[in-house]
Amino acid sequence: MNRRVVITGLGPVSSIGTGVTAFGRALRAGTSGISAISSFDSSGFPHYMAGEVPDFDPKALLRTLSTAEWGRTSLFAAAAARLAVEDAGIDEKVLAGAAAGSSIGTTSGESQVIEALTAEWVHSGLAEVTPAYAAQVPASRLAAAVNQELRLTGEAVTLSTACSASNYALGYAYDQIVTGDADYMIAGGADSVCRWAHAGFYRLGALTEKVCSPFDKDRSGILTGEGGAALFLETLESATERGAHIYAEVLGYGLNCDANHMVAPDPVSIAACMRRAHHNAGITPADVDYICAHGTGTPANDAMEAQAVVEVFGTRPPPISSIKSMLGHTMGAASGFGAIAAALALDEGFLPPTTNYRTPDPELPAIDPVPNESRPAQPRVVQNNGFAFGGNNAITILGRVA
Amino acid sequence: MNATAINPDPTSGQDVREHTLAITGWGVVTSLAIGADEFTTAIGEGRSGLRDVTGMFDEDLPEDQAFAMPDFSVRDHLGRKGTSFFDRSTSLGLLGCTLALDDTDLTVTDDNRDRFGIVLGTTAGSIKATSDYSRETLEGDRPFLVNPVLFPNTVMNCAAGQSAIWLGLKGVNATVAGGRLAGLSALRYARNQIRRGYADALLVGSVEEFSPHTAWFSHRQHAAEEGRVKVGEGSAVFVVENAEAVRAQGRTPDAEILAVEVGTYGAPGREPDAGAGLADCVGRALRRAGVEPSQVRAVATGESGIARLDDIERRGIEAALGAGVWRVRAKEWVGECQSASGSLQLAALLAGHRGHPELDGAVSVVTSVSPDGGVGAAVLRGWHRARGDHRS
Amino acid sequence: MSEAREKHLDELREIVAEVLEVEPEEITETGSFVEEHEADSLRAIEILARIEKKYKIDIPQSELPRMENLKAVHDVVATQAGWQD
Repeated sequence: MNRRVVITGLGPVSSIGTGVTAFGRALRAGTSGISAISSFDSSGFPHYMAGEVPDFDPKALLRTLSTAEWGRTSLFAAAAARLAVEDAGIDEKVLAGAAAGSSIGTTSGESQVIEALTAEWVHSGLAEVTPAYAAQVPASRLAAAVNQELRLTGEAVTLSTACSASNYALGYAYDQIVTGDADYMIAGGADSVCRWAHAGFYRLGALTEKVCSPFDKDRSGILTGEGGAALFLETLESATERGAHIYAEVLGYGLNCDANHMVAPDPVSIAACMRRAHHNAGITPADVDYICAHGTGTPANDAMEAQAVVEVFGTRPPPISSIKSMLGHTMGAASGFGAIAAALALDEGFLPPTTNYRTPDPELPAIDPVPNESRPAQPRVVQNNGFAFGGNNAITILGRVA
Repeated sequence: MNATAINPDPTSGQDVREHTLAITGWGVVTSLAIGADEFTTAIGEGRSGLRDVTGMFDEDLPEDQAFAMPDFSVRDHLGRKGTSFFDRSTSLGLLGCTLALDDTDLTVTDDNRDRFGIVLGTTAGSIKATSDYSRETLEGDRPFLVNPVLFPNTVMNCAAGQSAIWLGLKGVNATVAGGRLAGLSALRYARNQIRRGYADALLVGSVEEFSPHTAWFSHRQHAAEEGRVKVGEGSAVFVVENAEAVRAQGRTPDAEILAVEVGTYGAPGREPDAGAGLADCVGRALRRAGVEPSQVRAVATGESGIARLDDIERRGIEAALGAGVWRVRAKEWVGECQSASGSLQLAALLAGHRGHPELDGAVSVVTSVSPDGGVGAAVLRGWHRARGDHRS
Repeated sequence: MSEAREKHLDELREIVAEVLEVEPEEITETGSFVEEHEADSLRAIEILARIEKKYKIDIPQSELPRMENLKAVHDVVATQAGWQD
């Protein structure tokens, strides 16, 4: 069995917009989702900005889950999934009775739950922690929340491969449909802004102060972000049969591991991952019209990524932009938002910009970061990059249905 | 709703053998024993891994005994250089990986390391390392004075990433946050990678650490369950390859994983019933494996004395395999190791085959149930090998 | 060599040795952390972070490239902490 897999529903819950319409509009406009941190007390930290979703209202988005039973990240995942299914316009009862499941990526799972438990530990000791919080610790609950919200009886798998996790999840979901193990899958990722990641990135010297400016000469790091990203996948046949709107086709993906350093990326290995993704998708570098970058905005990542791109694509690579300039680094959701952006680029005919771009970096190879303003274009094939701690590289390839 | 009607059998008409995985070596790290042969001996003698853990941490613990390793130090096994900053989950996972590689006849070379990867299951990574890190930001007036070198320990893929670095494995590297289903979910993830041709060999398993956090979190949820198995820690890792390729090379595996099926139903007490869901999973897995229920010699269950979960598992197994099937309760030897459990249940079945040629070809099943409605079952066929085989 | 300098060097040597996972006596004043002890950027930042915490000082990360051996670390810290070694 070798079935073609298409994306027919998008569900972003993000700092720049919730729902595909709002998200798409913000992406085109280059809207910033960055604000002063409100989800934890940031006093004492020299930096205090992040890409939070302060207006996230799970009760308004979810229909099945009792929101009090679930942590913020699970609610992000479930809300995004709910939106993706609504966008796909498929009957919920059909889904619940079908071979349907979810694969959800994350970096820190229920980080805010673990922080709440830690605060209880500091104040009253572990013997007094709230049992309901303890029950919410397993990150498996992210995908479980999606299945429970939509009453899906298939697999619910949470892939915790850090900041490339959504691409792992999308790849796995794609395979489940290609092989016939599933007929419908929700793929994506979710994470919540948390104190320890803010502190850790700051201490690594990787957290910028107020503005994330990927590929810029003066870029100085990431801003942490949060949200939920979900894509609804089905076969081309099923989408055509029910007359669904098709955003894009999933052409394939590639995974590999640096096996070199936990936090420092390796351009040789990342170039190899790109080649693997191209091979699995049955394309060549010349077919790629746009790259949705990992583009974190740290000096090291962007230099490495540009170098790997030139290594694979030659001295005139396709345009490559980073939506983290708008969203911040949404961690495990990042490549999920990248995939949504890629699908919209293919469907609506534009390239999302790298905002906050001022000065070209002479140390980087010549690239086109789609500076500051989105650009009309008709990409046919898009590459979506995701890299992570642990050297967990994951790249997905989406294309217009030919 | 009849759970059996929900998912059609996706393999009808296909050659099931092309999808099977071979296990060609394995390693375990538990309070009961460290290493496959040692574990086999300990299981054979019916020993228990329950230990006195008083004084193991600065923090008080809810109970004096656990299936934990108070004296475990990764340095004793792998040396100091490179290991000083490992969290406990990373140490247990990496040691499991190295032991599995010691136990197989497959070697890592420059020719295969690009297609040789790692798939590890977890609950939420090292919960202690993460919570300790978070705690650092809550103490003192400069909350950012955390340790950079410990930051990677807060991500859940730390064990898999560090193991890849240690062993030089550049193939797919995945971490599956499956909780109680993690062992089976990791096997399913691995099966997909291998059948799709993305990898040739994978170290597949799952890990759980014991800490004041895991001990108290469990205690606060389940203290009322008087008969429950005490919590523990450990890892079990399997060298997994394409079964067909292994057969073609004339090698005999320890086992073939014939099928792994999972599903999501209601949490305990909610609809749709997870017991019926598990029965459906076991039935589907047997059909994929081409095995009749009557051929199943044993089921290694995740039962741990938590009534609402055990009830689901018992009903699912009885409905699929009958009330008389032999249930192997591995947690009585190794404790409630959460995400490591499914892998340790599988290891317990493999231990039964090691040194026992009379059991060659016997079929057994591993089942897991999660409190969030997840259920799963794996079907395997085991073979013996002489102890010490493949050891250099 | 002043007693204060000796004491400070011993304290710094202890920190560096622990981060680089070697015995303190293996850390010489001019031995390169990178070439002799496989230091990487993460370990370098860890050394800096531990020093900041111990002496309650701030060291700009721009000083990191300079901190390539024990003597250089001492020089940087002495400047930031106002040591008269």
